[in-house]
Amino acid sequence: MTSNGTRWALAGAATVAAVGVGRMVARRRRRHQPGREGGWYVVQRAITVDRPVNAVIGFWTDRSRLDRALAEWATLERLDDNRWRCVARDPAGGGTEWRAELTVDGPRRLSWRVTEGPVAQQGRVELVPAPRDRGTEIRAELRWRSGPLRRALGLTAGRDPDLALRDTLRRVKSLIETGQMIDTRHDPSGRSPAQEAATDRVRERLTAGGRP
Amino acid sequence: MKALCWEGVRKLAVRDVPEPRIRAEGDIIVRVRASSVCGSDLHLINGYLPAMREGDILGHEFMGEVVETGPGVRRLKAGDRVVVGSVVACGGCWYCRTEQYSLCDNSNPQPVLTEKLWGHAPAGILGYSHAAGGYAGSHAEYIRVPFGDVGAFRVPDGVPDDSVVFASDALPTGWMAADFCGLKGGEVVAVWGAGGVGQMAARAAQILGAERVIVIDRLPERLGTAAARFGVETINYAETDVLEALRELTAGRGPDACIEAVGMESHDVGPVHAYDTAKQAARLTTDRPAPVRQAIMACRKGGTVSIVGVYGGLVDKFPLGAAMNKALVLRMGQMHAQRYIPMLLDRVAAGEIDPGYLATHPMSLQDGARGYEIFEKKQDGCLRTVLHPQPA
Repeated sequence: MTSNGTRWALAGAATVAAVGVGRMVARRRRRHQPGREGGWYVVQRAITVDRPVNAVIGFWTDRSRLDRALAEWATLERLDDNRWRCVARDPAGGGTEWRAELTVDGPRRLSWRVTEGPVAQQGRVELVPAPRDRGTEIRAELRWRSGPLRRALGLTAGRDPDLALRDTLRRVKSLIETGQMIDTRHDPSGRSPAQEAATDRVRERLTAGGRP
Repeated sequence: MKALCWEGVRKLAVRDVPEPRIRAEGDIIVRVRASSVCGSDLHLINGYLPAMREGDILGHEFMGEVVETGPGVRRLKAGDRVVVGSVVACGGCWYCRTEQYSLCDNSNPQPVLTEKLWGHAPAGILGYSHAAGGYAGSHAEYIRVPFGDVGAFRVPDGVPDDSVVFASDALPTGWMAADFCGLKGGEVVAVWGAGGVGQMAARAAQILGAERVIVIDRLPERLGTAAARFGVETINYAETDVLEALRELTAGRGPDACIEAVGMESHDVGPVHAYDTAKQAARLTTDRPAPVRQAIMACRKGGTVSIVGVYGGLVDKFPLGAAMNKALVLRMGQMHAQRYIPMLLDRVAAGEIDPGYLATHPMSLQDGARGYEIFEKKQDGCLRTVLHPQPA
């Protein structure tokens, strides 16, 4: 027979342990949350491209190459010397569409603002020469507004703006360095259509937000 | 087309699957003529490396004939007989530019898992699970090879399929292991593992200047083959204490360089091996690193330990103190196929290395599951099973 005292002691220990674990998890989650600034979520992400700054700028100004690169997911239309209008679709499918306005702020700086889209967003990109012979650092800052509920839903749907930013940087790097994006989604396999659909969901989780 | 698919832990079957198609500018389609099994496949088949999905096509060490090329392919054309490096490399990133192809930035389209596990995602590998990109493998009649200009190499005429197939993986892996040792001539090199990679590493060490090579394994027939072919010395660890033997064979110094060509499902004798096996079976640890521990303990002070056996995650009882206090150099990695293959093809064509003898068990693709069983259980003196997807 366990005495009442032992029961209380065990319950107490379990409570203390649960609270401790909960606090640890909360602290860990907070460390992985994006920064907050005046009602905006803010993240900074960067990637290194193995090309000199001028070659990276050249990629954006070579219209035919850019159109080929963006073909699947965005169109660009020039408004005036420094402003562009961009219409982008969700590259993973799902039919989401954004309209954004891009402004060239200087020789190595660009900013954008989403004018129509599911999430209010703005951001800027800066090109910085990387140390030694490592090419160019593309440094991006992204700000978005979204309620906590929407953000939670956005996360589960894989459309978190931070993940999308990291995906975009990886895509840009690959397009500049190799002229293409590798995709293994339609490689042959011995799977049934249902197994293939389940595997595609796994592929999406292994792809979203990943960096080399 | 027919392909050998993974159906679950220790379950393989030949299935009808769709043929691959060109999907990007740099792709080529290769009609596979010879596709070897590899020790590292066993880790996938047995469920020790994560991210296999039912229906995945295995195989990453192969050669064949180009049947179709993407619009961006310049170096190759239909009809070329080629060998393809297992590691996919884009040719355009900093790692490719500096010939560290297995670290390519752009060839793993699914980098999340390895980024979490290892901090960064290395290159994709054909037929090597969804952690390495989710590419379909070569145990099939046809395979799509991305960045064909970078990864596929024309094969010299006259070298048989079953010999040149090992220029895809076993030979460059063994060569890189010896290359890592930084040999200057006259060294003593010990090699753990007398499988395909270990034997190629032993030969490469000789070519690169080692005066003596000592090969360690537990299978007398494999040790016998290595001794007969290359004149290496051998130690059977099932019968002899390896550390004692190496110390005596080198008059107390220890080998100048130690190559580990075994990997995460290594064998050993004694209670520590039983403990490691139990822990790994219960998934409390991912890797059994017995030969790495031995190599570090055996290596001479200030020597080099070169690891090309595949490890996936965490190990315990790693003798870091020995490595630190003996000032060892540790080198390791998946092989940089594209750096070594052209040079190795020249050496194979010149007869300097002939890896063809590794293909002890040529078989049809249909017999793939049995081929892996014979290979894993080392039955019938099997060094490598090589599958032939095309009718003879």
